[in-house]
Amino acid sequence: MSKIKGNKFGQRVRPLIIISLIFLLICGVAYPLLITGVSQIFVPYQANGELVHYHGSTVGSHLIAQNFTQPEFFHDAVGSTSGVDPDITLQQAYAQVPRISRSTGIPTDSLIALVNANVNPISKFFGDPYVNVLALNLALIKAYPSVYAFVE
Amino acid sequence: MDLIEISWVLLIIGATAAVAWLIAPYITKIYTHESSRIDRIFDPIENLIYRTIGVDKNRGMGWKEYFLTGLSVNLIMMAIAFSIFLFQGVLPLNPQHFSGLNWNLALNNVISFMTNTDLQHYAGESTLSYLSQTAAVQFLMFSAPATGISMAVAMIRGFRVGAKDLGNFYLDFTRTIIRLLLPLSILVSLVLVVLGVPQSISGYAVVRTIEGVTQQIAIGPIASLTSITQLGSNGGGYFGANFAYPFQNPSPVSDILELSLMLLLPTALIFVFGRLLGKKGESKPVFIAAYSMLGINLLIGFLQKVNLGPGIETRIGGFFSTFWTVISTSTNTGSLNASLYAMSPSAVLSSFMSMFIQSTPGAVGTGLIYMIMYVILTVFIVGLMAGRTPEYLGIKITARDVGLIMLAFIIHPIIILIPTILAYTTGAAAQIGIGANAIGFTKIFYEFSSAAANNGSDFFGILANTPFFNIATAIVMFVGRYAPMCILLALSGSILGRKREAMSGLRTDSLVFAVVLVGSIIILVLLVFLPFLALGPILAFFEGRMNFFG
Repeated sequence: MSKIKGNKFGQRVRPLIIISLIFLLICGVAYPLLITGVSQIFVPYQANGELVHYHGSTVGSHLIAQNFTQPEFFHDAVGSTSGVDPDITLQQAYAQVPRISRSTGIPTDSLIALVNANVNPISKFFGDPYVNVLALNLALIKAYPSVYAFVE
Repeated sequence: MDLIEISWVLLIIGATAAVAWLIAPYITKIYTHESSRIDRIFDPIENLIYRTIGVDKNRGMGWKEYFLTGLSVNLIMMAIAFSIFLFQGVLPLNPQHFSGLNWNLALNNVISFMTNTDLQHYAGESTLSYLSQTAAVQFLMFSAPATGISMAVAMIRGFRVGAKDLGNFYLDFTRTIIRLLLPLSILVSLVLVVLGVPQSISGYAVVRTIEGVTQQIAIGPIASLTSITQLGSNGGGYFGANFAYPFQNPSPVSDILELSLMLLLPTALIFVFGRLLGKKGESKPVFIAAYSMLGINLLIGFLQKVNLGPGIETRIGGFFSTFWTVISTSTNTGSLNASLYAMSPSAVLSSFMSMFIQSTPGAVGTGLIYMIMYVILTVFIVGLMAGRTPEYLGIKITARDVGLIMLAFIIHPIIILIPTILAYTTGAAAQIGIGANAIGFTKIFYEFSSAAANNGSDFFGILANTPFFNIATAIVMFVGRYAPMCILLALSGSILGRKREAMSGLRTDSLVFAVVLVGSIIILVLLVFLPFLALGPILAFFEGRMNFFG
């Protein structure tokens, strides 16, 4: 009697377990691997976090702030949600121009022009325009190699 | 709001609703089993799955079997994910060597993801291995909305003329994932990667910055999680900062896409509802009601302006952060692209309204289940006022039906208010530094409203990783998900096969009915919750607060 009941219980539980395992494999394993494979082949730059290379070494990601502290560089805005907000508004960039000019000797007009040239082009359509801090600092280094010779 | 902002709101919502309307016929066929050209691709896959499970394709289920099958499958899935969370330390795909989760956090997690809540008392990037983020989290992020949609479709079948059963859970669940969630998620994931959302399993990048500092960059299978979290009303984040983290939401373009995805399937299901009934007109009052309440939520939400500042990401800004918060709670997705602390009391009040109503349009599946509940309740109230027998679609609504609905309705305030009070009386609130004032009360009240509505947004995050909050919210999420589902499926089961009268009652496919529907929903919800709202966000509003910091 109990054996028959046991079999019935098995018959009821088996499909529940199998459907769970099937979708564990499809949604939890195959699907993320498929997206990973396709992304790594066709858009490896984005798939790997938009890493930035400088002089042959990786120096960060365009999407992740890196908390610049030296006075010669533009600094990130602190206190935002993610803690890694990579952008600052134009006003926040302009406000730092006098400091950078004092510590590097680069004229303020040139720094302002550099900020304007690096405004994220799509940001103009969605509210306050902003600049990417890492991109801006790399543009600084490129424009004034002798001033930033201390960077390896 | 200025004119440009109003245009953004109308454009994004209008475009999403239009796409939802376009895909509704396709989604309908998933559940009517009407043949379509796409069968050639999907039929062999599904037949293989049915054969492996050992399920008879032609056998329908009554409400009890349908619900119990769904619940049991969910319990087994929770057990699988629970084991992965608990033992991730010794399982593969753990390049950062994270240790296993403690049992009460693991329990909270599995119930949270399986109930489509996605309340997260942890930060994924410093807690979960790649295996946990995929085989546990992404697995449940498909299974939860597939369960919700299946239950909603089963409920609707009970109202169909000539229906003999509520369908077969195995078939509905399988077809929802294979024909809807999986193809859409693959498409959206790939678009998101192009827009800058990473997708990799080769470990976090470690770099030396220009200033010579070592920086760790958390890269992982992020795009595949981000798509289904938005499409399936999940809302859980790969990162603790959710969609404020640039890797989940790299630009204003990704922000708008991800925001739209939250509305897509809940809206499409409203159109599917009428088609499944065989009466397309019945979608009309439901759509009008859901979207006018969404409109009210937006009006309340935008009452106070949120500016760029602490808690708001530069690339997103105050307007798009507020817009996201309203849409995210209106669809009970619960994802956030800004900190809730940075939101205004009016935006938080709007979120509360969504979490109480749960049908504005609500989460995929459950939003519709609740809306049908409100429709029948309104039919009953109007019937009482007009002094005639209440009927819906020619079905006489009995006292027992209304009794079941009142039971489903009353569960929600009970599971919100009791634990809110317990959090204060047991000292659990004080333990995490929350005081008994307008700001503190709002946060505790929000935690349990979010858990009960299976929303998932919250103020606390990792702060609430205490045994009290882990266990209390786990119970609330579980009851908030399955109890109303069970009751309303029972209602549908009792309506199944009931005699249809010639339509003589109130016309439910009219604009007038939609207006009465919205009125009765708002009055019912305010009657229950207004005193508590007054102690929280409304008081904060009149105190002149602009956010919830401090």
